[in-house]
Amino acid sequence: MTTLREPTLPFLLEVGCEEIPARFLLDAEKSLGERVHVALTETRLLPSTRTGFGMGANTLRALPLRTFSTPRRLAIYVPKLLAQQPDKVEEILGPPVKVAFDAEGKYTRAAESFAQKNSAALEDLARTTTPKGEYLSLRKTIQGRPAREVLASVLPQVILGLSFPKSMYWTGKSAPRFVRPIRWVLALLGEGTSAATVDFEIVGVTSGNFTFGHRVKTARPLPINSFKSYTKKLAQAYVEIDKIKRRERVIVDAQALLEEPSLKLVQDEWLTDWVVNSTEWPRPVLGTFDERFLHLPREILITVMRDHQRYFAVEEHQGSLTPHFVAVLNVDSDPDGIIRRGHQRVVTARFRDAEFFWNADQRVPLRDRRPLLDKVTYQVKLGSYGDKIRRMLALAGHLGEVIQLSVEQRAQALRAVELCKCDLTTQMVQEFTELQGVVGGLYAKVQGEPEEVAAAIYDHYLPMGTEGESPRSLVGQVVSLADKLDTVVGGFVAGYEPTGSRDPFALRRAGNGIIKLLLEYTISIRLDSQLYNAFEAVQGSPPTEQQNATLLAIEKFMRERLTYYLENVAGLRYDTVRAAMGAASLGFDPLQVMMRARAVEKLRASQDFMSLSQSAKRIRNILRKSAKLEDYEGGKLDLARLEEGPERAVYEAYARVAEQAERRRGSGDYDGALEIIASLRIAVDTFFEKVLVMAEDPVVRMNRLQLLFTLDRLFSKDADLSEIEEPGASSDVGAST
Amino acid sequence: MSLIHNPPKKTCSPLSFQDMIFRLSEFWAQKYCVVALPYDVEVGAGTMCPETFLRVLGPEPWRVAYVQPSRRPADGRYGENPNRLLKHTQMQVILKPPPTNIQDLYLESLGAIGIDLREHDIRFEEDNWESPTLGAWGIGWQVMLDGLEITQFTYFQQSGGVDLEPISVELTYGLERIAAFLQNVEDVYQVLWNATTTYGDMRRTEELEFSVYDFEAADAENCRMVLDLHEAEARRLLGEYPRSNRSRQTKYNELITSAIESITLSKKRFPLRKVYDLTLKCSHLFNILDARGAISVTERVALIARVRKLACEVAAIYLDRLQSTGVSA
Repeated sequence: MTTLREPTLPFLLEVGCEEIPARFLLDAEKSLGERVHVALTETRLLPSTRTGFGMGANTLRALPLRTFSTPRRLAIYVPKLLAQQPDKVEEILGPPVKVAFDAEGKYTRAAESFAQKNSAALEDLARTTTPKGEYLSLRKTIQGRPAREVLASVLPQVILGLSFPKSMYWTGKSAPRFVRPIRWVLALLGEGTSAATVDFEIVGVTSGNFTFGHRVKTARPLPINSFKSYTKKLAQAYVEIDKIKRRERVIVDAQALLEEPSLKLVQDEWLTDWVVNSTEWPRPVLGTFDERFLHLPREILITVMRDHQRYFAVEEHQGSLTPHFVAVLNVDSDPDGIIRRGHQRVVTARFRDAEFFWNADQRVPLRDRRPLLDKVTYQVKLGSYGDKIRRMLALAGHLGEVIQLSVEQRAQALRAVELCKCDLTTQMVQEFTELQGVVGGLYAKVQGEPEEVAAAIYDHYLPMGTEGESPRSLVGQVVSLADKLDTVVGGFVAGYEPTGSRDPFALRRAGNGIIKLLLEYTISIRLDSQLYNAFEAVQGSPPTEQQNATLLAIEKFMRERLTYYLENVAGLRYDTVRAAMGAASLGFDPLQVMMRARAVEKLRASQDFMSLSQSAKRIRNILRKSAKLEDYEGGKLDLARLEEGPERAVYEAYARVAEQAERRRGSGDYDGALEIIASLRIAVDTFFEKVLVMAEDPVVRMNRLQLLFTLDRLFSKDADLSEIEEPGASSDVGAST
Repeated sequence: MSLIHNPPKKTCSPLSFQDMIFRLSEFWAQKYCVVALPYDVEVGAGTMCPETFLRVLGPEPWRVAYVQPSRRPADGRYGENPNRLLKHTQMQVILKPPPTNIQDLYLESLGAIGIDLREHDIRFEEDNWESPTLGAWGIGWQVMLDGLEITQFTYFQQSGGVDLEPISVELTYGLERIAAFLQNVEDVYQVLWNATTTYGDMRRTEELEFSVYDFEAADAENCRMVLDLHEAEARRLLGEYPRSNRSRQTKYNELITSAIESITLSKKRFPLRKVYDLTLKCSHLFNILDARGAISVTERVALIARVRKLACEVAAIYLDRLQSTGVSA
C-alpha cells in the first residue's frame, strides 16, 4: 500500500464444461464470483480500493468483477488485479521468554533451535507480549510473488471447490468431482501482446489461452488475448455469455413472432430462466398444432408444453389458449423450418398421448377406482393410499365438526376425500405426475360429481408451503388440512422428522401449508387436538405414555412453522411473536396466536403498554430469583396481608382489570384485553416505587411475591409481555418486514 | 424379397431401420468398439446385459456396442399406440474409460445416420439415470433433437452397488424414435424396416400378444412361483462360491491338498453368468407382476430389494474373482 499506483493486470477465467444443468447455473456463477473474490483477497491480489469488501451478494456486485455463464461455461473477468503480491511482514512466535533464556540471560537451546528452524540469526530475534505472556519472536518479510504464479496455485481449488446440489466423477473416484466434466480452462492474465496464460492443471485439463464457440457452429479453438476479444469472438461463434442479453432476446424475439397483436405468451418466469440458462444463442420459433387438441383442458396443454417440452404457451388477451407455442432454440436460425416442424411433431405426439389417456381414463370413473388405492403404496410404514384415505376421512369428520361445516358441506368434504387420490391410478397422472389433484378435479367434474367436490379435489394439494394459492372453498380447505395433518403426523410416526437440511418427506412444506390455510382463512381450531386425532388415526389407537413424546415433538414442530410464518410471511417482530406464542392459554390455536400477536404489535405504539412490558419482565425476574415459576402455582395470595396504599391499590386495580380483560378476551377482542391490562401501568409503577417486595418479614415477602405472581399470570395470559423488548434494547434480529 | 442394398451416404432418402443399425454399428466399430450380439435373456434395458452390467466393473478398459431389444411390460399398448412399445430396440454403447471428446464422438455418430446437425437443434438436458433393481445409477443428460429425446447419455457412477473406477459412459439410442424421425412418419409401425417391410410387419403381432399376456393372461401365482424358483436357484449357486471364510476353507482343505489352488479353481469355474441370468429372470418376472397389477403394497419394495441383493452379490463376486484369479466377464 506504499506506492500510489501499483501495476495491475486484467484477468479472465473461463471453465469450459459439458452441459451444466440449467437449474444449477445461476448459483454456480454467483459462487464462482464469491470464491474468486475470496481467493484474491486472501492472496492480497486485489488492488486497495476506497470501500471495504464485504462478502454479501450486494457488495460483490459493487466490485469490479463480472461473472458470466452459459450451459457450457462459467466465467469471470477481473479488470484489475495486482501484477505482484505486496510483500508481507509476518511475526512468528517462538518459545516463551522464560524458556528462551537461562539463568545468566543467555539464549537456551530452545531459542537457538527456533532461530535455526526459521533460518534466522540469534540477533534477529525479538520479544513479543501476548495475553499468555512474553514470547520470543521473529519478524519475517515474505516476499510477494507474481500474480501469475499465485493464481496458478490457487485456481484449481477455487474451481473445484464450487459446490453443486449434485456432482459427479468422470474419470474415476480417485479424481475430484464437479457438476459435469471440465473440458477446457481459459486462464488469461494481462491483455494484448503481454497476455499470458496462467498455467495449471485440473482433472487432466491443462489451462490455455483459448475458448470454444457454439458446439455445432464452430469446432476449432478460438485463441483469446483480451476480454474484448473473448466477448467478440464468442459472439461471432454464436455464444452470448451475458444472460441478461439472452433474456432480452428471448422476450423481445418471442413477442415479435406473435404477429397478431391480440396474442401473447403465457408469462412464466421459471420457464424464461430455464431457457436462458440452457442456451448459448437463444432463438425463439413459433410453432402450431392441431386445433382439435384445444378441447383438452388448459392445465394439461400447458403441462405438456411447459414441463415436458419447455415451450411457452400462447394465449389471446382474454386468456384462452391458441393452437401455438414458442420453442426457444439454441441455434441462429431455422431457415427451412426443419426444427420447427420437428417440435410440432413431438408436441403433437404428446398431445395425442394426453388425448388417449383422457379418453381411456374415462372408461373407469374415479368412483370405481377407490378400491385400487389399496394397492398403491403411500409409504411402506404407513400403508397404502387406501389406508391414507381412511385416516383422512376420520380427520375430515373431526374438522367438519370443529369448523362447523353445514351438513351438506360435510358430505361434500367426505366425498372429496374419498375421491381425491383416485387420480393416482389414472394413466394421465402416471404420465403427468405434476398434475395430481388437478386431473382428479377435472375428471370429477366431467364425471358428474358436484361442482364443490370437483373443486375440492382439484385444489387439495394446495397450498404448497407458504407460497402460492390455497383451496378456493372451505370444503377444499378441509380436505387439504386432513391430507396435510396426516402427512405431518404420519411422517413423524414413520421416523421422517426433519433434521437440519434433511426433510425427505417434505414435512415442513406440509406444516407450512397447514399454518397458511388456518391463518389466511381465519380457521380457528385447536391444532393440538387435531394432531392427537391424526396420531390416533395413524396408529389406530390413542398414543401411549412413551408416544406422547412424539406427539409433543410434532406440536413443537408446528409451533416452529407458525413462528416462521408470523415472522417471515406476516412480517411481525420476533419478540411480538415470542410474546404471543408464550401466552398461557389452554391449547394451541394458531389463529388465536396470530390475533394476539397482531394485538401486541398494534399496542407497541402505546407508552403504557411498552412500559408495562418492562415491568412484566422485572416481575418475572424477581419471581425467578426466588423460586421456580411452577413453585408459585400452589401458593395463595393472602388478601388480608396486603398493606394499605400502593400494595392494596395495585391488587384492586388488578382485580378490576382482570375481570374486564376476561370479558374482552372472551369475545376475541385481544386488542381491548391488552389495552385494559396496559392501563395497570401507573398502579404497578407506583407499587414498585413505594413498596419493597423483598421485605424482611418472610411472610410479608412471600405474600408480595405471590402478588407479583398473580400479576405475572395476567401479564402472560394473552401474550407473555415479559418477552417484549424495549425499543433499541437489542438489535432486532429475526424481525423482518 | 427384393435385394437390399445400402444407399450411398449422401442421399435424400432416409435410412431404413436396419440400415440405421448397420451404420451405427459400423461407426462404433471404427471407434474400436466390439460389436456384440443382443443378449438372449429378457432385459428391460441394454444396461442390464452382462456386456454392460459386469464389464463396467473393475479397472479393465472396455468398448462395446450392441443392439438390445428391451422389454418393459408396463409400456405395452397392444400394438395400438403409435409411440409406445412393450419391446423397443436400444443401441447400447459403452466406453470405459470415456474419451475426453466423447460428446463430439456421439454427435459424429448422428452424422453417420444422416442427421446433419447444422440443420437441427441438438441439446443435452439434465437427466440422471437410476436402476434400483441393479443398484446402479449415473449422471447425465437426455439428448434432445428438435425437441425429441433420442438418446440417454450417462456417466455411470455405480453399478451393483459398487463405486466405479474408472467411470464408463453409456450411450443408449432409442432406435424406433430416431427411425420415425428420420423417415418422417408419425407412427412407429409405419417405419420401414427395410425397403419393403415395415416395423409393423415385423413386430405388431408380437406387441399385441405380449400385451395380452402381461396385462391379462399372466397367472400371478405362477409368475411369483417361477420368480421364487429362479431366486432360490441363484441363492443356491451363490452359496457355492468359495468365500475366504474359515469353515469353507476347511471343507476344501479336506478335499484336496492345496486349498488355495482349489479355491482359485472353483472361483474360476463358478457359474456367475448363470446367477446373473437368473437375476435378470427375476427382474423381468417382477416387471410382469407389476404390469399385471399383482404386487401389493409392501411386496413391491421387498421384491426390488431381493433382486437388487442378487445383482449386488453378482457384482461383488465378479470383482472378487477378477482380483483373485484375473477372470473377467
